[in-house]
Amino acid sequence: MSDLTQLIGGLPILSMITLLPFVGALLIALLPSSRPSLIRVAALAVSFITFVLSLLMLPGIREFSSEFAFSEQISWIPSFGITYHLGVDGLSGALVVLTTLLSWICILASFGPIQNRVKEYFISFLILETGMLGVFLSLDLFLFYIFWEIVLVPMYLIIGIWGGADRIYATIKFVLYTLVGSLLMLVAILATAFSHQAATGSWTGAFDLIALRGTITDPTLQALAFGAFALAFAIKVPMFPFHTWLPDAHVQAPTAGSVILAGVLLKLGGYGFLRFAIPLFPQAAQDFAPLIIALSVIAIIYGAIVAIVQTDLKKLIAYSSVSHMGFVTLGIFSFNQQGVDGAILQMLNHGLITSGLFLLVGIGYERTHDREIAKMGGWASRTPVYAALFGFFLFASVGLPGLSGFAGEFLVLLGAFLVNPMVAGAATLVMILAAVYLLWMYQRIFTGPLSPFLKGLGSHLTDVTPIEIATLAPLAAMIVAFGILPSLLTNAFATSVAQFLMYASGGLIQ
Amino acid sequence: MNVFNTLIRAASEGGEPAAQLPEYAPLLLILPLAGFLFTAAIGRRLGKLAHLVPLGAIVATWGIAMSLAIPALLGDLGEHGASSELFTWIASGSLTFNMGIHVDALTGALLLVVTTVGALVHLYSVGYMSHDPGYWRFFAYLNLFMFSMLLLVLANNLLVVFAAWELVGLSSYLLIGFWYTKREPGLAAKKAFITNRVGDVGFALGLMGLVAVFGTLDISTILAGVEAGQLAGPAATVIALLIFCGAVGKSAQFPLHVWLPDAMEGPTPVSALIHAATMVNAGVYLVARMSPPFAASHEAMLVVAAIGIFTAIFAASIAFTQTDIKRVLAFSTLSQLGYMFAALGVGAWVPAIFHLITHGFFKGLLFLGSGSVIHAVEGEQEMPKMGGLARKIPITYATMLIGTVAIAGLPPLAGFWSKDEILGEAFKFGYAWVWLVGMVVAGATAFYMFRLMGLTFWGKSRVSESVHVHESPWTMTLPLILLAIPSIGIGALLGFPFADGILVHGLEPIFHPANVLLGHEHEAWTLFGIDGLLMLASVTVASIGTVIGVRLFRSDNGDRIRAITARLQPLYVGSKNRWFFDDLNDLIFVRLGTRLANAAWWFDRRVVDGAVNGVGTLTSTGGRGLRQIQTGRVQNYAFGIALGLAAMAVAYLVIGS
Repeated sequence: MSDLTQLIGGLPILSMITLLPFVGALLIALLPSSRPSLIRVAALAVSFITFVLSLLMLPGIREFSSEFAFSEQISWIPSFGITYHLGVDGLSGALVVLTTLLSWICILASFGPIQNRVKEYFISFLILETGMLGVFLSLDLFLFYIFWEIVLVPMYLIIGIWGGADRIYATIKFVLYTLVGSLLMLVAILATAFSHQAATGSWTGAFDLIALRGTITDPTLQALAFGAFALAFAIKVPMFPFHTWLPDAHVQAPTAGSVILAGVLLKLGGYGFLRFAIPLFPQAAQDFAPLIIALSVIAIIYGAIVAIVQTDLKKLIAYSSVSHMGFVTLGIFSFNQQGVDGAILQMLNHGLITSGLFLLVGIGYERTHDREIAKMGGWASRTPVYAALFGFFLFASVGLPGLSGFAGEFLVLLGAFLVNPMVAGAATLVMILAAVYLLWMYQRIFTGPLSPFLKGLGSHLTDVTPIEIATLAPLAAMIVAFGILPSLLTNAFATSVAQFLMYASGGLIQ
Repeated sequence: MNVFNTLIRAASEGGEPAAQLPEYAPLLLILPLAGFLFTAAIGRRLGKLAHLVPLGAIVATWGIAMSLAIPALLGDLGEHGASSELFTWIASGSLTFNMGIHVDALTGALLLVVTTVGALVHLYSVGYMSHDPGYWRFFAYLNLFMFSMLLLVLANNLLVVFAAWELVGLSSYLLIGFWYTKREPGLAAKKAFITNRVGDVGFALGLMGLVAVFGTLDISTILAGVEAGQLAGPAATVIALLIFCGAVGKSAQFPLHVWLPDAMEGPTPVSALIHAATMVNAGVYLVARMSPPFAASHEAMLVVAAIGIFTAIFAASIAFTQTDIKRVLAFSTLSQLGYMFAALGVGAWVPAIFHLITHGFFKGLLFLGSGSVIHAVEGEQEMPKMGGLARKIPITYATMLIGTVAIAGLPPLAGFWSKDEILGEAFKFGYAWVWLVGMVVAGATAFYMFRLMGLTFWGKSRVSESVHVHESPWTMTLPLILLAIPSIGIGALLGFPFADGILVHGLEPIFHPANVLLGHEHEAWTLFGIDGLLMLASVTVASIGTVIGVRLFRSDNGDRIRAITARLQPLYVGSKNRWFFDDLNDLIFVRLGTRLANAAWWFDRRVVDGAVNGVGTLTSTGGRGLRQIQTGRVQNYAFGIALGLAAMAVAYLVIGS
């Protein structure tokens, strides 16, 4: 092991990463509300240190011979075998870094737009970060569930307090939808634990992912529990037909809320399938696969078609997310190397690309206070750098090879093709549809003569500021880097995919 | 150099063809890419000097390309060319897609056209774009295009070809929409990209099919596999036709041809480089490169030939009546590309590539010439507002005349050699219908091109009085002159002696596997036999077209032309309106497509979301009822919790046992 890994391996590094934002939130609570800029800088510093810690942790993951690196396990509720169990592998490591990266970017992007209740805002955001990191690092089902629910609360506040005009409707929809899914998941977790206890006569490991994998043989329990997990995750992804909370939440959320929603929260669903639902209940997952593949293809095509006629910029990108996230579930449920590799790439790249698009929409909104596509036109002539950046992220989203989106989508389609060429044929049509809705939007907003609405804004229509560039540049750099060398990522999570495919094929049951 | 060396060494473990490319070969890609990055980053600050780095990069690229293309064409790189592996691009388990470059005679042919026309277009743009505020941006995009196009022809893996395919599409999008403050260029750029993507869906699926069959997209492995009979029957047909979809889009063949005429909204150097001489050839290149899978399927070959020859005559018929000088040339390009596909479809591989080369030069010349005309008459593109320009812009006139004679297929200029070979082989391989339609197109081509020359240069001037007609600066006329040379001589240089020239020798080994699959054999050329007769026939129809064109449009013959069009009114209206294909597309895809999308959105709001809101309403109504249970007394809650736990326990006993 390298010196660095030995050094941080001696620390509870995963707990530090997970809890640092929460500790930061507590410290910020002690700061006076009358010092908003101090609060902003403190929040940025906390989230940036968390990011650095996660980067330090990353190279060490592959140096462990065990499946999960930097494991921490402490008995928590011994009477039920519940432990505080954290661990990281290539898959969760990549998602953790995505989370810590987007968190500080979001906090930086909120400096200008968030002007009221600054302290509460940043406290919420840092607690949200802890929740998300906990979800990715938990290896105990109960702990996972706790973090899963923690995420909900600050997100609810961020949309409900700092959101747009219709924020109450959007938040209630978001919370109810997610709660329905997660409560069923709680029931399934309890049922699994009870069944484990009944089978082994002991509570030890009843909530532990590693202990439970490959032990659940009862087909009825598999089917019901998988159904409950799958519903919770399907709502988060979101899969058709459980997606309608997403456009409303995106439209009402403040910019940073949209970014974190698209960038990380949607990934919780895909991660849940990969880490929990399928390895725990592989037989049921195989049985459900045709249904989920069908719903994924519908989401891919349907989301893109609906995106074509959107008049609100954020809604358009929200529906494009439905379409793009369909690739994630399609790839996972192809149950082959290419499909799963592609799905994980798609999760990470969607996190980078769509976050960039939402940041850009927010930057435009700061100047126009509008997102109505019909009012725009000719914007590029006034703010060429903004237009060029928008074009860059847009073509990344279209799946242009050389930028990161392509590899994931191609591998997912290839994985699907190897299972069923007709499914891949249908899904590939999105190549046309994505170009239609994104280029249509770009042409309407940025090219042609300057629209009267934009002309009326006069000198308010300024180009991007250095801070705004600082929020976009890391994303753009990674989009280029992972476009040219996607194997940097696929190598990083190769072991996770191999493990996943083993459990998904029910490897340990027989 | 050491960096490239290690890169190459590090990745070249496959050890397939023994021949290694020289270690400077990757500079073909690195120079234009560096030119693009440099100019995109700081070009704006360089003002009128912004062209220096991009132009220098491309001239250097041209030199390197020639140093590889000439030996490749002469067979000095070995029958199967030479390669360099660079790095692994995408890897998934044992499946890897590698980035590597390969140069053989086919690549050499493309390099010859792409870099020569590319360098000259860069030089031409120094003059043509000199007053444009986006000068630096233009050169950045041109370099990006050159990088993408060179990647397309150099890549030795089909997934990298596909990537380059999309990147040339991006550069095309950026350059068509270059004047973004106007409405039409933005629309045309979008149309081009989307129409291309329709074809690319097929291409992508074809690639997936190839992975399913061969487990790789490495070109040489696939071709060897096809040669060994691993791809045949319906699978070969499906895969070949899917790949052909991509070619149909990129090379603007019917029914995906609609984007190319609109692409003329881009600056004229772009039309010459991308939409005449290079990018639109990518489809021809792809089919030629993948000749064995196509040759493995008779049905696929038939489709290629039919689409090609239909596009040839369809587009020629439209070129008859267009009045915008660039649109005539655009439809002419469609038609000539159709010729190339017809040639590929009948198995006349070498003539198809031959025509790609000659056409690249003379069509590049004609487009740059049209730009010089437009420049001379201060932006006017309508030929009815030109006329009598021959004496005022003599260099442009003389060079365009050379281009016209070349495309008309009159000996001994370039077009004659390649067109004659296409028609001759079509006939000899038993495709009389391709030959017959091809003959008609040959005559039509000569006719509409001399119509263009007549309306533009001959007769009385119809140019507005206020316009000061002037010849273009040397940066623009020099490329015209330099392109006129190959337009005259490249045909004889590469194609003589008949069926035994440089090109045949260079390309024969590459197309050998396909010819074996087709059962085609190389026969001796006979001047006093079938070949001589066929040549005589093709020269005759070209001459007839020329004579009619010259006689009708030599001087102001307005009355006679009007009389003829009046007699052929329905044909005239159809041709003038491009046989209403754009209107049909508009109806099907834009209008009906928008309806479908709106219907989907209605469904989303009313049905999917409606159900959710319905549940919500139900719950809140129910909630009002349930509120009575919320008494605020802890005992009641405790009772409720106990009840719930009991229910769970019962459920567990039922399910869990």
